[in-house]
Amino acid sequence: MIKIIKDTENHLLIEIEVSEANLNNSDLFKAQVIQLLDRHEKTVIIDFNKVEYIDSSFLGALVAILKHAIGMKLDVILVGLRNDVHDLLKLIRLDKVFKIFGNYNDAINV
Amino acid sequence: MATSTQVKTILLVDDNQLFLKMLSQAFKKTGIACITAESGKEALEKLGSLLPDAILSDYEMPGMNGMEFRQQLMANDAFKDIPFIFLTYITDNDLMVKGLDMQAVDYVIKDTPVNVIVSKINNLIYTVHKQQELSKSELKKAAEALNVKSIPTKTPKINGFEIDFWHRPYQDIPGGDFIDFIQANERYTFIVLGDIMGKKWMAWFFTFSFLSYIRAAIRFCVLSRDYSVGSILQKVNDVICLDDVLKDILSSLSLLMIDNETQIITYSGAGDLPLLHFEASTSTLKQISGDGLLLGLFAGNEYTEQEIILSKNDQLLIFTDGMIDFSDNTGKKSDYNNFVHNIDLMLNKKYSFKHIQDELFEPSLAMQVDDCSIINIRKTI
Repeated sequence: MIKIIKDTENHLLIEIEVSEANLNNSDLFKAQVIQLLDRHEKTVIIDFNKVEYIDSSFLGALVAILKHAIGMKLDVILVGLRNDVHDLLKLIRLDKVFKIFGNYNDAINV
Repeated sequence: MATSTQVKTILLVDDNQLFLKMLSQAFKKTGIACITAESGKEALEKLGSLLPDAILSDYEMPGMNGMEFRQQLMANDAFKDIPFIFLTYITDNDLMVKGLDMQAVDYVIKDTPVNVIVSKINNLIYTVHKQQELSKSELKKAAEALNVKSIPTKTPKINGFEIDFWHRPYQDIPGGDFIDFIQANERYTFIVLGDIMGKKWMAWFFTFSFLSYIRAAIRFCVLSRDYSVGSILQKVNDVICLDDVLKDILSSLSLLMIDNETQIITYSGAGDLPLLHFEASTSTLKQISGDGLLLGLFAGNEYTEQEIILSKNDQLLIFTDGMIDFSDNTGKKSDYNNFVHNIDLMLNKKYSFKHIQDELFEPSLAMQVDDCSIINIRKTI
């Protein structure tokens, strides 16, 4: 489901390994990322480059992860979103709650 | 877990490659797909990408034994409810009791002929599936008996407006979309369209909690003569954020209020898709965007409202994200602009709402990937 790409002093870079992020994998995704937040206590950068479609169950999981991170005073950053996935997030105003960057380098250079 | 329409999948865990191969071939012959793992560690890795309908695991394995593997599964919310069966040569009663205490559904002795093991697991998957279906049907009956509906059966009659709606749940299972029309008094009618994030039963259960709060907030605001949809959304959001049961449950909402006297509509939106306003005189389709965040996201969110003035024959379309999602031979997609384009073409050809439904939705039944709901408001005077 997810792969840890980089583990630095202040953040974790993880990649979603599925192309369809939906109801069938949203619970698992939520459990795995929350476990990573609890274990590493670092900001998590999630790379979406492999994700072609995202449904509302998965968006719900993503927001639940963000709320968990905020409770720990940590950030969840999204990178590598395809245009239509990014457009959907903008349409429902989730771009106002997540930090979103084109790629990993852009995210860490801010 | 895999749904009823998908091929059933089981995870086989055994350090004996030959046994794994023999068993998975036997399962495949009965139409059950198998994922195999030679250790508990490998099995946990594989569970990271797919949730099977059942897990059949050896007890004696080097490294992590079956009991330790089961313990790891029990500690994970995503895995603990997958039916689990131990496979073992050991016929130690104490061990069996220990395993059954860990909610293993059954034990299968490895000496059992392979076809008997396969039949037993097949029966187990069938029984679990039947039980789930039965529970759902009981719940559906109970909801019907209590007269709790997340979708209305008729539309309100309002002078100067014609209101229609269309709704189809995903895979015919009630889901997270909800619609309501509330005629608060002779002057004001509220139109509610929401979408709980998620699908099927779990989302459906929460529609009632959300609808109850929304209905109550509307009634309280009307009683205190606070006719502001923005203020209603704010109250609903704050109370949802305080409700522990609804922790992590989010919903979009389009809330509209039609004033019968002034013929003005006020609108406020929470994480909803932009509405479409078709201006009949210029034949143009305009988007109307709300600015509020999803309900349940953060307490204290503000929701502004805006006035929408429709002229004669103008139409206002309000819809959930299922309407813009579709599946084609390259996979699933969300395409708001494509939906807007199709609606624009049809409204310009003066299609009725019924005709739009037929054109847009009937051929796409197989392509539907989520609950679909759309409300159409047409100004008649």
